[in-house]
Amino acid sequence: MKNSYRCNLALTGIFAFFLNYNSPIFSQDPPQKTISGIITSGAAPLIGVNVLVKNSTRGSISDLEGQYSIRAAENDTLVFTYVGYKTKEVAVGNVSILNVVMEVDAQALDAVVINAGYYTTTDIKSTGSIDRVTAAEIDKQPINNPLEALQGRVTGVDIIQNSGAPGGGFKVRIRGQNSLMAGNEPLYIIDGVPYDTQTLASAFNSGGIIPFADASPLNAINPESIESIEILKDADATAIYGSRGANGVVLITTKKGKEGKTQIAVSSSTGIAHINRKANLLNTQQYLEVRREAFANDGITVYPAWAYDVNGTWDINRYTDWQKELIGGTANTRQLKAQVSGGSSKTQFLLSGQYQEETTVFPGDYNYDRLTVNSNLSHQGKEDRFKLTFTAGYTLEKNRLPDRDFTQDAQWLPPNAPAVYNAEGNINWENSTWSNPLARLDSKYKQDSKNLISNTVISYSIFDNLEVKVNASYGFSLLESTTAIPHTIYDPAYGLDSGASTLTKSKGNSSYWITEPQIRWQKNFSVNTFDVIIGTTFQQNDIEQGSTMGTGFPTNDFLNNIAAANTRTILEEDKTSYKYQSIFGRINYSYRSRLFLNATGRRDGSSRFGSNNKYGNFGALGAAWIFTKGTDLSWLSFGKLRGSYGLTGNDQIGDYQYLDTYALQDYPYDGNIGLVPARLYNPNFKWEKIIKREAALELQFLENKIALSVAYYNNRSSNQLINYALPGTTGFSSIQANLNAEVENSGFEFEVNGTLLKNDNFSWNGSFNLSLPQNRLLAFPGLENSSYANRYIIGEPLNIVKLYQLEGVNPETGIFEFNDFNGDGALSSEGDRQYITDLSPKFFGGLSNSLSYKNWSLDFLFQFAKKKGYNQYRYTEPPGIMLNHFESVLDRWQQPGDQAHMQRFTTGENYEAYLAYSRFTQSSGVISDASFIRLRSIKLAYNLVVNRDKGTSCRVYLQGLNLLTISNFEGGDPEQLKGFIPPLRRITLGVQLDM
Amino acid sequence: MKKTIYHSIKYKFHLLLFLLLLCGCEDFLEVEEPLGQINSAEVFEDEATATAAVTSLYGKLRDEVLLTGKAEGLGVLMGIYSDEMIYYGFGGEPLDNFYQHQVFPDDLLIENLWNVAYSLIYMCNGVLEGLANSTKLSEESKSQLQGETLFVRAFAYSYLVELFGDIPFPITTDYEVNNKLSKLPIPTIYENIISDLLEAKTLLGTTYISGERVRANKIVATALLARIYLYTEQWELAVAESNTLINNSVISLEPNIESEFLKESTSAMLQFKPKFEGGNTEEASTYLFATGPPPFVSLTPQLIESFEDGDLRRQLWVGEVTDGTETWFYPNKYKLQTNTGTSMEYSIVLRLAEQYLIRAEARAKLGQLTGALEDLNTIRNRAGLMDSEATTQNEILEAISLERYHELFSEFGHRWFDIKRLGIANEILAPIKPGWKPTDIHLPLPENELLMNPNLNPQNPGY
Repeated sequence: MKNSYRCNLALTGIFAFFLNYNSPIFSQDPPQKTISGIITSGAAPLIGVNVLVKNSTRGSISDLEGQYSIRAAENDTLVFTYVGYKTKEVAVGNVSILNVVMEVDAQALDAVVINAGYYTTTDIKSTGSIDRVTAAEIDKQPINNPLEALQGRVTGVDIIQNSGAPGGGFKVRIRGQNSLMAGNEPLYIIDGVPYDTQTLASAFNSGGIIPFADASPLNAINPESIESIEILKDADATAIYGSRGANGVVLITTKKGKEGKTQIAVSSSTGIAHINRKANLLNTQQYLEVRREAFANDGITVYPAWAYDVNGTWDINRYTDWQKELIGGTANTRQLKAQVSGGSSKTQFLLSGQYQEETTVFPGDYNYDRLTVNSNLSHQGKEDRFKLTFTAGYTLEKNRLPDRDFTQDAQWLPPNAPAVYNAEGNINWENSTWSNPLARLDSKYKQDSKNLISNTVISYSIFDNLEVKVNASYGFSLLESTTAIPHTIYDPAYGLDSGASTLTKSKGNSSYWITEPQIRWQKNFSVNTFDVIIGTTFQQNDIEQGSTMGTGFPTNDFLNNIAAANTRTILEEDKTSYKYQSIFGRINYSYRSRLFLNATGRRDGSSRFGSNNKYGNFGALGAAWIFTKGTDLSWLSFGKLRGSYGLTGNDQIGDYQYLDTYALQDYPYDGNIGLVPARLYNPNFKWEKIIKREAALELQFLENKIALSVAYYNNRSSNQLINYALPGTTGFSSIQANLNAEVENSGFEFEVNGTLLKNDNFSWNGSFNLSLPQNRLLAFPGLENSSYANRYIIGEPLNIVKLYQLEGVNPETGIFEFNDFNGDGALSSEGDRQYITDLSPKFFGGLSNSLSYKNWSLDFLFQFAKKKGYNQYRYTEPPGIMLNHFESVLDRWQQPGDQAHMQRFTTGENYEAYLAYSRFTQSSGVISDASFIRLRSIKLAYNLVVNRDKGTSCRVYLQGLNLLTISNFEGGDPEQLKGFIPPLRRITLGVQLDM
Repeated sequence: MKKTIYHSIKYKFHLLLFLLLLCGCEDFLEVEEPLGQINSAEVFEDEATATAAVTSLYGKLRDEVLLTGKAEGLGVLMGIYSDEMIYYGFGGEPLDNFYQHQVFPDDLLIENLWNVAYSLIYMCNGVLEGLANSTKLSEESKSQLQGETLFVRAFAYSYLVELFGDIPFPITTDYEVNNKLSKLPIPTIYENIISDLLEAKTLLGTTYISGERVRANKIVATALLARIYLYTEQWELAVAESNTLINNSVISLEPNIESEFLKESTSAMLQFKPKFEGGNTEEASTYLFATGPPPFVSLTPQLIESFEDGDLRRQLWVGEVTDGTETWFYPNKYKLQTNTGTSMEYSIVLRLAEQYLIRAEARAKLGQLTGALEDLNTIRNRAGLMDSEATTQNEILEAISLERYHELFSEFGHRWFDIKRLGIANEILAPIKPGWKPTDIHLPLPENELLMNPNLNPQNPGY
């Protein structure tokens, strides 16, 4: 293994802990005897029940047949705990076989604690819309980024992966796009720490391989270290996050040590990955036919000297499948993880290390690797008044990629283009007749990052019902990236030497701290229960970024050292600060555990806004009523109605925008720097406001076997921050200002979960979710005269595109025709791009199933979406030009009278045809149905009990991701970003050992 | 940790108090300024940054606004708009619209011309406001910088008013005022320009502040003022202003016209310092070409044929390219396209020869024909020509007009502004430009500008 030293590092840490395992802290008293038995629910054995000797650290867990064994003394008491069941205590006495029947807890829904950020709640008590994805679900798919775990699983959350290359980012929209111009990213909170997901990568050197240079900082969070991800959607759940809660909140909680026997888990997996759909391209014969026909159509009989593909310069019988050659490789993945956790009732700990390596589907030696270490320690004082929790995660990432994605080359290179290597094994330039894509492999993108998140929570109960708590965190992210482009990527005919080599080096450094003192008061007055929290937040983030480019090196050996460059240019140097301060609170009231009222509020101050508007107030009211309480319906076991209303804000507008400053710009004059006003000064702009409304119904039938929930939401964002267009006499073309534009996101979300079948050997659980989002621009004063006039239409979604309307190919001329909307006899961008279509999904969702039979289990998830998208033709040149094309172009016009879907081929010489094609790429002709059903993930596992007494078990599993995609879409993967490789299809084999 | 401490009520009370106090830190949200930006007020409390804010105005003129030697500058735009230059680009391009007199209100070039000029005016207003509020700058440097800024603003307005006619005249940075301005009539604009220049003259000294002639002083402000008086037909005043320049000892007419456009030219009153050390002018890159047909623009046959035999300017300031059958001409005033290590040529914005011709014309208008001829002949003799044969007032005025054509071609659209103010545009352009209409005397106001600020209506006639 190439990076084995890092792997060793991870394991050394873990095993160091193992060796300490016998230290006095965790040593066990000599037990008198072994107690064993079977734990059942009355009907079926219960797997994974926690068995603990009371007032000790000794524990065990029931196996797949419900069997457990533990060593205890006669006077000991065993405590059996299991989620969804009542805790049971049994005195040992003089028996050695102790079978236990656990009772279902009527309040089972209450057993699952849901993290709501500043407080916790349960399915019963919750007044807001909070979705939860647990470790069990995350483990079902071989993924690199926690966001992938949410795809297809959570209603209202639309996630699209930008690229299949490791390290890339995601587009995440929770309940649609709220803002016209400001950010639409949710707020991410990891173990209580707001996590800045703005990339530190620089567009100066990352953009060619990582779409939008958006190297996602969330890659630093290893999905395997996550206990749960909660998605907060409505006002009730998000208003406590004030100015940052508008686009939803994603809470990530890492795994924590639990009371019980010390557990060691070691797992390892290995797998392969490929692109999941190739485009249907022309083969050499078809391609040459297209080219020859194009020349004939254009009346050119003698092929020009530069038409190497048809004039005989290149072998006309040669065929290369460039997709196979350039992006068709197999990426290998490898993962290794070790974790030790456990603890007494007072102190719990967890330590885990994980190493992961992944190569790419590109040719050449590229790889991504990641090393993460997570640790967690909790301690409680003797009377449980004092509590301390420390959590820290540290990640090292290394990404080695070519400096650009080859997807475009694979699509465009003529299929009879020359061999990439010549007979001597060197890059073949074929007498300077082509630009060999593999020469590009010499230019390398390197990215190294380090990431620390640490968090300490200290709480102390002053009185029984009054607790003081301080949450303090510190963290940093460092990202260094370099792109080294040696002169060897250019054709040697240019006669370049290392004087033309360049190196671009970027560094980003972000650090933050946050502290949140809080007071919590809880009190029961017979049937009335109050729970109140008041707290404050102080937070500071500092970001430094810089990029330098070096050109000209004495030799390429020094290409990685910018000091060796002949000239160095500083491309960027920036340092920004963001400070944030607020007061927040929550008052929760419940009556007889059937009526719940929840009021949350926050007063936020942010350095992103001018002195007139530094502070803003946000708040929400939520209510829930359990109408089945006190009634007795046999078929309906639980019914809840809930609703919420509130105001949140969006402050994603960048730092310092309100400042009245002069900026350094490129107008040096007479020895003085160029100094010009940075922007029109608007000290008055403030938060975008989003009013969220939600009503939901939650039902459970047949003794909680089937659960159904339906939610309707309606969010309206106003006070939109936009670049407000101004006449030139103001000195600027626009000013950043709040405009009374209004955007509405509304929709229904459905979720059904159920236990479809359950008996001794077999169980089948299924769940289905469906989101029907709708987005509309409600108001935009002065839209016609604004710079947004060609982008938006009032009453239509924000995600519309305005295009020419394709009328088809004229059977006489063989050229595309378009609808002349304004009837002026000419086609113009302003007048005739009136075909409007919406590219946002009409609906999306997922269907997941978990089946288990004896020791076997099978999990699979189907994801689906109904939407339109740009098809294969969007960014193409006319067929007939010296670029390969899609097979679908063969249905073309050849002679007058032909009815065809593709116009006449042209080499570009026919200006009219060329122009028509360029309009075609901006017409309804490039819109296709991009709906799909995807077998998102599948996992087959076999559990093997090795040693029942010691609770040792082993699990072998086979996982797949993106195995099957059903879609009529012809442009590759329906979710693929044009020009970048699609999300990969992965197959992984793994084994996990628990001790 | 002692239990007694934990349970002391007093301790708990203090803890609560502490928490509440934490909520009250008002200053917490103050952040340091970002790197690379300076608070506007602070810019004008420091000599170096205040100077940089002012010199950036020249940088803007040199690189993108009105007087730039690049393709979007007035030299090219108004050159092809009049009878100076031929445009060789594609049909339908914005520059071709200028050449063909088919300019539309929504042309990007029109919008750009307008926007960058008003952006410069905004910067000038910002500097003037900043200087007015400055407390730490010395009165001396304040005067110098104010004077320079007033000059630059007047300079920009003087072109805008000639190009567009009635225009808005922002004098503040307040966008809520500037976004609803109405147009001012041409005479009022000129009154404002003149009063700005008069103030600039009192604020500025006669020395060039940085040694080279690259920033405005009293001489420079006077030169523009003389031109404005000529344009507004205030003949005595024009004569008076140009007198002070012609009689000035700091500048003198460069005897050798070969050296007229070099960095050291003694005729130069205001030059643009090149952007890079060792760089030369943008004009050279824009105008020079080596093979025909010309890639961009060439001088018109009308101009070339109108030169008298033996005119040194025809020989030295005009370049020729031929393919054997056809010959093309280009402005060859600036000859260096590349970096020469040490700069050799600076783009000359205001030069003394123009002042001789201003005085000649004003004198002629006043009936001082001898004096007028004297000035005209100074320029002719320097170009290797004999004295003019004109005798009557009209002949002399015509001769001066032709002399300006020959002397000032390819310099910031002088020819266009001359034929426009002399009322001969129609007569000259109608025969050679099929698209010419008398209403083309002014450019259209940008369409977007009218849409966003209806107070600017009506559009100029003919558009």
